[in-house]
This record gives sequence, C-alpha cells and structure tokens, in this order.
Amino acid sequence: MTTLSLTNIRKSYGRKTVLDGITQDFPVGLTLLIGPSGAGKSTLLRLLATAEKPNSGTITWDGAPLPGARSALRRTLGYAPQAVDLPEDLTAREFALHMASLKGLDAGAADAQFGAITDAIGLHADINNRIATFSGGMRRRLIFAQAMLGAPQMLALDEPTAELDGETARKLSALILERAREAVVVMTTHLADELTPMAAQVLRVEDGKVSAT
Amino acid sequence: MSLQSIAKSSLSTSLLRYQRSWGLWLLLLVAPVGARFMISDEDGKGVAIAIGDHLPILTSPVLGVWLGIVVSTLLLPIGYIYLRSNTTRKQPWQIEEVTAGSRIAIMLGRFGADVAVLLAMLATLTVAGWFLGWLMVSGPLNLWHISYALWLVAAPALIGLAAIRILFDAIPWLRRGLGDLCYFILYMTSIVLPSAVDGQASSLTTNIYDFPGFMRPLMGPEPSGDNNFAIGGVDVKPGRVPLDAMAGLDAPGYAASRAAWVGIAVLLVIFAGAIYRPHRQPKRIKTAGWMARLLSAGPPPPANSAAIPALAASLPFLKLIIAEFRLIGAGRPFLILAVLAAASGLADDYRHIGSPAALLLLIFALSAHAGRSEARGLLALTGTAILSPMIRRVAFVIAGIAWSLILGMPAAIFTVSAAPLILAIAAGGIAAIIAITLGSISRSAFAARIVLLILWYGYLSS
Repeated sequence: MTTLSLTNIRKSYGRKTVLDGITQDFPVGLTLLIGPSGAGKSTLLRLLATAEKPNSGTITWDGAPLPGARSALRRTLGYAPQAVDLPEDLTAREFALHMASLKGLDAGAADAQFGAITDAIGLHADINNRIATFSGGMRRRLIFAQAMLGAPQMLALDEPTAELDGETARKLSALILERAREAVVVMTTHLADELTPMAAQVLRVEDGKVSAT
Repeated sequence: MSLQSIAKSSLSTSLLRYQRSWGLWLLLLVAPVGARFMISDEDGKGVAIAIGDHLPILTSPVLGVWLGIVVSTLLLPIGYIYLRSNTTRKQPWQIEEVTAGSRIAIMLGRFGADVAVLLAMLATLTVAGWFLGWLMVSGPLNLWHISYALWLVAAPALIGLAAIRILFDAIPWLRRGLGDLCYFILYMTSIVLPSAVDGQASSLTTNIYDFPGFMRPLMGPEPSGDNNFAIGGVDVKPGRVPLDAMAGLDAPGYAASRAAWVGIAVLLVIFAGAIYRPHRQPKRIKTAGWMARLLSAGPPPPANSAAIPALAASLPFLKLIIAEFRLIGAGRPFLILAVLAAASGLADDYRHIGSPAALLLLIFALSAHAGRSEARGLLALTGTAILSPMIRRVAFVIAGIAWSLILGMPAAIFTVSAAPLILAIAAGGIAAIIAITLGSISRSAFAARIVLLILWYGYLSS
C-alpha cells in the first residue's frame, strides 16, 4: 500500500530548529496535523509536498527514498499551500488549466474535472471570472480545486477550510474524505473536532516533535 | 503623531527593508561595472562621446561628466526598475491607508530612503570613477573634479527619479503597467528635451530643460556653446580634442538648474502626498452589448459531476508549450490586438512597421505572463509540479517565438519571403528570453517590460 514516510527528519531555518528528528508514516487515509500556530505544521506539509528539503533525514514515497523518488511523488501530488500569489489577471479556469499543464494532465479532461470540482464547492459560476475579483474564500477554494486535479495519490492541504463558511467547509471536507479512501491525504486544520472521527490518524506538532493524539 | 516622527518612521522602515535586499548589492555593482565598459578607451570602444567626431581628452572633469552620462543612460532605467520591482514594492496599504498619519510625511520618508539608496549607488560610482581616473585620465588626476562633475550632473537626476517613483505610487492608474509606460515616455522625453533650447545662451531657464544634466558640460565654455557632440553610435576619428567640461559646469544658471531639479523633486513628493489616492481592489470592467460579448470569456461550460479525474497527457512538454501559448495570448483584447498587429505587417516596410507593432504587443503579453508565472508565492506551488519551472521557462520561450511567427505570417505570405519570419523568430526569441530571465530575477513584470520597451525603441529607431 502506498505510504509516505519520514525518518529522522530535521528542518531548521538558521538557528531555529522547526522539526527535530521526526519519524512518522503517513498511510492511505486522512492524516490531520494539529498544533499551535508556528509549531511547524506548514513546514512539515511543505516537506511532504516536496516544496522544501529537510536538512537531514529521509523521506520515502512508496518505499523509495527522495530525491530519487521525487518525480514519482510529484507525478501524483496535489498541493494546496496556505497562501499563493495567484495570477490576478487570469480567470480561475485559465489558472487551473495552467496548473494542469504543469502536472502533465490532459487539458480537456482536466477542464471537465475542474468544472465538476468547482461545482461541488460552489465556485463554478465564477470560473470564467478573473481571480482579481475573487474573495479570500473563493481563492482558497480555487487553490483547493487545482490540488484535486488528476487523481492525486498524495494530497497535501494547508488549512483548506480556513476563511470558508460552515457549509462550504463541509463540502470541501466531503471531497477530501472521498479522496482519502484511496490516497495519502495530509491536512493541517483547525476543524479537528469535526474530521477527527474520519481521520486515520491525528498528529500533534509541537516543539519540533510530532506525536499521535 | 507628529509629521516629523511619521516621516522618520517611514524612512527608517524603508531603509531597513532596503538593507535586507540582496538586489541592492547588485544595484550597487551595476554602476561601476557599467562605467568600466561605457567609458571609451583610446580605440573608441565603449559608449563614445564625440566632440566634432573626435573623442575628448579624458581630463578629470570630462571623466566625471562621462560617468554622469552612464547614470543617465544606464542607471535611470535600472534604478527605476529596482525601485518599482524590489524590496519596497509591496506596502502595507491595507493598514496604512486607514490610519490618520499624514500621507505627505509617509511619502517624504519613503522618498528619503529611495534617495539614500540611489545616492549610495552614486557614491560607489564615484569611487569607481576615482579608480578609472587613476587608470585612464590624461594629465593630473583630480578626485574633486571627478566627484564634483559626476554629482552635479547625476545626483539631481537620481533624486528626480526617486520623486517620480513616489508620485507614481500615489496615483492608482500609475501603480501598474501604465506607470511603467509613462516612465518610459518621460525618460525618452528627458533625453531629447534639451535639444529644444539648442544654441541658446546658458541660463537657468535653458538649463532646466536638461534633466539628465550632461548637455551643458559637453557644450564647453560660453559663449560658443557648441553642441556638435554625439553620444553612442559614433565613428570617431583618430586623435582627441580638448573639452573644457568645467566651463560647462560653471556656466551661468547650470548649477542653479541642478538645484532647481532637487527642489522640484521635493515638491513633487509633497504633491504626491497631497493627492495620494487609496488602493482599491480591481473591479471587473462592465461593458455592454457586442463589446461585452467580444471581450468576455463567456459563461462557464456546464459542469459534469460525473467527470472522471484527468489522466496524464501524452507529450506533456508539447501540451505545456500549447498551454504557455494560450496564456501569453490570454484574453480577447489580446487576440483583437494580435489581428491588428499581424495586419500591420501588410504595410510596405515590415522591419519598421509590422515587426515593431507585433513586438510591442508581444512585449506586454510576454512580460505580463513572465511576471505572473514567476511570482514567488506561485513558484512555491508550481515548483512541486512534475514539469519544473525551468522546463516551463523553455516552453515559454518556444511559445513566445510561436506567437511572433504567427504575427509575422501575413507579412511573409504577402511578400512571398521568409525574411519576415526570420526577423520574427529573432525578435520573438530575444524578447521571450529577456522577459523570462528578468521575470525570474525580479519576480515581476516591471523589469522585463521597461527593459524591453527601451530595446524596442532602439529597434524601432534603428
């Protein structure tokens, strides 16, 4: 079964150690990362999403260590960071197709899938509008929708439900849980209470360490 | 809070940000390195200044003026690019603009920081000038004359540049691409404006036309005021001729005009503070009727909830090139302008009409897409995709050349010649490479757009 694993991962910025000797498996299913602000949840997610490299330690995807397996992981990765400089002058659909092309996905199928995802999260009516006109919540949904393109076997989501109203957040959660049936989904969240029963594991990040709750 | 304390706080915050900018160190290097290659040696290599087709004898004041010309030709555009696209580009306006703090004081503080940065650049050029003087000056080396000539010529122009940047930041429609275009026009105008007072006696009134400040010193002593000089693109004849640059610097009204430009710059900043308009979220332009239908992307296609997840594409690099091609030409307005630019290729002189028209359109499209796709916050996302940013940059260049070829196609068909296509490949390729290189360095469209516009002007004029 596909698994993402960290072995003795250390990540520091200058003298500040953010993650210190993390060893953790992320199996298929939903893994929630919780913890206080600044604890290193987003840093851990960036490492899992290959957006950053650890100072030491090993990340393995499907049994193969990175960086050798980085391409294999990226081929099937969906990543929704907390903040993205979205191209304001493009429409949401143009941006999604841009991301699909970078992911090497078929443009026609990606367009149809983007339509379906945005329809499910209440963004479809606006996908031909420029991103400059989008509210914070719409941007958040757009970042989420591009992460879902293809059939990512590894989905890294940083606070995807922040800035969303309760109903929209639940719609997103439903899509996330559906994907988590067959993919490794790692997500930082403040909605731990709602999603905890459905999660394969809930990990608390604090003081550079990760512990199961 | 007093005006003084707001200005001081704005100044110190901006200086702190500049201090942490790696681009500043590059900027400090640009002038000395540029000067080394732009001062003509005995063979006339470099940017030649010719007085009656002869190089001037390189005395200390002449070297100072020459360095001033380096500032006008090299540093005024590069300094603008730096100020507009670097560390203080983004201001916390969402918070600032709801405070009661004086906009004039905030602007003056920022202006002070910009001036400090630009004058630091001038200081490094001065030191480089002393070194070059030691290597190149004929006759006695006079460090004061080099410094005096350089600072009198260049400092007011740089202070003026800082004021223009502040003014452009105060007015909503000048904060974006239109501001860059306006600066380009202002810069070009400032270079040619002194010719409006050709042959007139030196005075404050005539010298005030000379914003870059190097015309009068090159004319030599009054009353002759000859302007038989040329800069760049000159076939110089052997032998050097004397030029009394100090006489030009000391000509009546010259120093006063330089001081006046400093005063104008400060007034411009105060004016910018007085007319400062808040930022606003961009609104969708609402047009009606056939124009709306023509320009809008239309309603989204119906969603199919049964759509299956997209699979990997065959030939992903080719698909990426197509995607880049679409994004460079995103939007109906571009397509309409592209038709017009391509049609202009049917005019007789493709090199001077069709090609520049197509290139001008491409410059805006290429720099816009390069800037948007190289934004740091977006790269954090796109950097995790299977097709890396570097592969995308290659696709961008190929797509840019493809657009250029398409725009040159009508001319090639009309003239039954491959020449327009060869020109299109060269122009489109160079523009795309410059756009993506500068976009990836500056993380914005500004630098690429300004540099390409200056090069475009040269292309159009040559």
